[in-house]
Amino acid sequence: MSVRPAVESWGASDLAARVRAGNRASIARAISTVEAGGKASAELLKALHEATGRARLFGITGAPGVGKSTLVGALIAELRNGYQSVAVIAVDPSSPVTGGAILGDRVRMTQHVEDDGVFIRSLASRGSGGGLSLATSRVAEVLDAAGLENVIIETVGAGQSEIDVIDVADITTVVCAPGLGDDIQAMKAGLLEVADVLVVNKADDPMATLTVNQLESMLALRSDAGRKVPLLKTAARDAVGIPELADALNQAFEKLDQQGRAERRLQRMQRLLATVAGGIVARRLKATRGRRLDQLLTRMAAGELDVETAAVALLKSDVWRQD
Amino acid sequence: MSTSAQRPYRVLVSKIGLDGHDRGSRIVAAYLRDAGMEVIYTAPWQEVQALVRMASDEDVDLIGISSLATDHLLLPKLLEALRAADLGDLPVVVGGIVPDEDEQALIEAGVRRVFHPGSSRDEIVSTVAALAAEARIQRKTESF
Amino acid sequence: MRRQPSQLPLPGFDQARAEWRRAYGEQLPEERPIFNRSGIEIAPLYTPEHFSDERYMDALGFPGHGPMTRGIYPSMHRGRAWSQRQLIGLGVPEDYNRRLKRILASGGTAVSLIPCNSVYRGLDADQVDPLLLGTCGAVVNTVDDMDACFADVAVDELSTAMNDPLPFTLLALLLAVSDRRGIPWTKLTGTSNQSDYISHFVANHMFFRIALPGSRRILIDHIEFTNRHVPGWNPVSVVGQHMQQAGATPAEAMAFTLCTAVQYAEDCIARGMDPDTFLPRFTFFFDISISFFEEIAKFRAGRRIWARIVRQRFGARNPRAARFKFHAQTSGVDLTRQQPYNNIARVTAQAMAGIFGGLQSLHTDAYDEVLSVPTEHAARIAVCTQNILREEAQLGDVIDPLGGSYYLEHLTNETEALIESLIAKVDDAGGMYRAVETGLVQTMIGESAMRFQARVDNGEQTVVGVNKYRLEEDSDARASLKRPSPEKIEAQLESLRQYKKGRDSAAVQRALETLTRVADSENENVYAALVEATIAGATHGEVVAVLRREMGDGEPLIVP
Ligand SMILES: Nc1nc2c(ncn2[C@@H]2O[C@H](COP(=O)(O)OP(=O)(O)OP(=O)(O)O)[C@@H](O)[C@H]2O)c(=O)[nH]1
Ligand SMILES: [Mg+2]
Repeated sequence: MSVRPAVESWGASDLAARVRAGNRASIARAISTVEAGGKASAELLKALHEATGRARLFGITGAPGVGKSTLVGALIAELRNGYQSVAVIAVDPSSPVTGGAILGDRVRMTQHVEDDGVFIRSLASRGSGGGLSLATSRVAEVLDAAGLENVIIETVGAGQSEIDVIDVADITTVVCAPGLGDDIQAMKAGLLEVADVLVVNKADDPMATLTVNQLESMLALRSDAGRKVPLLKTAARDAVGIPELADALNQAFEKLDQQGRAERRLQRMQRLLATVAGGIVARRLKATRGRRLDQLLTRMAAGELDVETAAVALLKSDVWRQD
Repeated sequence: MSTSAQRPYRVLVSKIGLDGHDRGSRIVAAYLRDAGMEVIYTAPWQEVQALVRMASDEDVDLIGISSLATDHLLLPKLLEALRAADLGDLPVVVGGIVPDEDEQALIEAGVRRVFHPGSSRDEIVSTVAALAAEARIQRKTESF
Repeated sequence: MRRQPSQLPLPGFDQARAEWRRAYGEQLPEERPIFNRSGIEIAPLYTPEHFSDERYMDALGFPGHGPMTRGIYPSMHRGRAWSQRQLIGLGVPEDYNRRLKRILASGGTAVSLIPCNSVYRGLDADQVDPLLLGTCGAVVNTVDDMDACFADVAVDELSTAMNDPLPFTLLALLLAVSDRRGIPWTKLTGTSNQSDYISHFVANHMFFRIALPGSRRILIDHIEFTNRHVPGWNPVSVVGQHMQQAGATPAEAMAFTLCTAVQYAEDCIARGMDPDTFLPRFTFFFDISISFFEEIAKFRAGRRIWARIVRQRFGARNPRAARFKFHAQTSGVDLTRQQPYNNIARVTAQAMAGIFGGLQSLHTDAYDEVLSVPTEHAARIAVCTQNILREEAQLGDVIDPLGGSYYLEHLTNETEALIESLIAKVDDAGGMYRAVETGLVQTMIGESAMRFQARVDNGEQTVVGVNKYRLEEDSDARASLKRPSPEKIEAQLESLRQYKKGRDSAAVQRALETLTRVADSENENVYAALVEATIAGATHGEVVAVLRREMGDGEPLIVP
């Protein structure tokens, strides 16, 4: 399994076969390939496709520093106790200016590094929004095809804007920690809505109870208060509450029957398509210089054309032509 | 495909052996990040085998080890383990306090570059970028 | 704090100052402001408007009294020169013993013991790669090893400073050696250096760590135990050195060290201990950077603040409690690999700052620290540097000789204010333990490290031979390395095997079980059980393994 794929022998189907056989070096290389996107990525994903759909995809999100990585580390241990294989995609933000990133989530998962049943990969967000969801979901597909039974995706979610993880995961867990009052406010807007499971970590902190109470009352006020969202307390650093969390995740997953999963998958595809198509439109708009586009923009600026009408026109028309 | 050419270099920055002084490795990690690279940063005291595993799983283009005590003495073992894992083409550089006599031995063992205290930011960044680029061309990552 | 010039009863002052300003401005029409490493702006000239004698009694007073600014003892270096404490430790116990005897023969009374990094990681020799053994310090795992370190040396006639991080196994081994030799523990004197676990979490140094709550408990157990059974021992050395080495500014290093000492004192008080008893045994350990006046001001300000804290926060009345006793070491961070002999000049300047700052004990770095583990030749020059400063330059003849300098007094005041504001920040965060747990302190230090590095990178901060005055590499100063031979290390490993075979393994087993039980208990003294275990024959690695298992491993608290 340590044999690295010889470069010249690589073809999409060849690499796909090695990935499906669980060859670690090939999995690593395949992840780089799909992360980069493009033709090679498309071919590879196509070749992998029939092997996908088996893994359970768990998203873990929450504000910076709430203990997501520590929690993931503890969850790995719990899942490994049950002899399940686990992959982790740990996403950290890239600098918007330089594009560089320091990916440090692994620091909290050190104890699993030499376990053959665990595959941890750090991913930089490389810009925001749709790009991240797309890359992450492709990476998850590779890991799924490689036969990893669970794929845990850690992302930083600070509020409304970065809820990409739901574009990728079957089950989304939102983690908060005591003493982060502002974050809870922010969560009201976005994160709370997407949570299938809620966790208050750092339960060893005396303030934790207060946070739990706050969240409970917030849940009660939700528009879909009928949907029961489990709310758990953990102390990830001391591995407290982790079996309970694993149970809650199992249950949430089981509640999603075949049909539910298929539906969620379609929803995810839809969201992915929307974000990615949006990204393509934005990039092309930026790159296009032309008379027709100028006219469209001028009319909008003059108030002759409202934005919605213009957008519809844009999607239909041939303003893209460079002339 | 243009996106693949732009894919940032990925570098593993770590410490092996017994010492944990990490001021240097943090500063270097920040240098590389600011130069647009993706730095996989680990806690100190890594085992050789763990580093090999991380380098492979993370598909990095280069490994940078910081050593301020005598932990660089383990580098030949790291290089050996990388070769055994078929990662012999992965460049390894070291920064920190490395006596001249040891430097020679390290280079002979396959370490590509030794950075001494006082190495400038530019020197570190440009050397790492060049070695990573070379490694990536050799491995033709995205083409098959 | 700053006085209005018009209030100064100095005829002609205002006019002369205005004139000087004008003339100065003509010579230097455009000048960039200058800041020291702590971020305090440095003016070109200081005068009585910055400090005047009216404030003398409040701000300075007399050495050994009141604000303590001028020094903690009435006679300071004139009565007793600072101790010359060179940290040593290399190879196997026999190597250490040889070097120790040489130092004692040349008149030393204060010695130190630096163990190998494997000991710092909580491991016995048979648990690490033999390539690394004894390359940075002495391999000491067992009572036999400790006995060999001090063979033919009267341990009760020395002051021994041991780099002995939590859980303080080296002291336990020394106590076991004393038992063997029939020496009562009450006759031992020395210091547990590196006992400051908070600094290890902050600066992420070279030590293994027991998780914070366990560390907190064991330190206080250790203080309680030594106060009672080894009264001549200083159980705590609060360390600013790691933080400054990790990039804290001098003011930050002082502030966070004081906060740490406050935390430990509060923890002792919570245990019901009496500040008048335990505070006199607190000692401190600092880095001396080459920022000359800044360092002197740091020490003077720290002394003043500590005396105030001890009296006001803790209500201590024992005058010894207010003494800010500190050891200091010249900073290795300032030394360069380029043109290494220049380091001798740097160490000299750093040492002078420490001496003028009123230190009690000094380690001067060898010029080749940045090249390798110091060679004996370089270590001797480092010792001679101290001798020269003391006996040729006669720096110890006058107490606080720079006191009264307008600049230094003003800088001391400003530094004091800055330190106080940092202390307030940590207090607001719930104290040092909390501030470290949440990463506040680490973040601040990390940012300071980056800021300083950026100043070096852009040339604002000169480093001779590195970013200015560069030469083609001169490598003539590179010395040859001395590492223990593989045979020696193999012999050491064999002696560990023999030791384990020869001891009463049932007794060791029982003692380790007791240690386990005590570690799990609520309030029994863990350190007492650890000492018992080493006396029964347990090794360093064995007792550490128990504590790690029962109390948890301390993980790094922050990543960049
Ligand atoms: N007190 C307490 N601290 C915890 C707990 N879990 C994690 N922490 C600490 O919280 C800090 C942040 O933990 P991480 O796991 O890195 O948090 P994160 O959410 O992944 O952080 P980012 O990836 O930076 O957003 C670390 O110092 C952990 O040790 C817990 O249960 N209790
Ligand atoms: Mg994280």
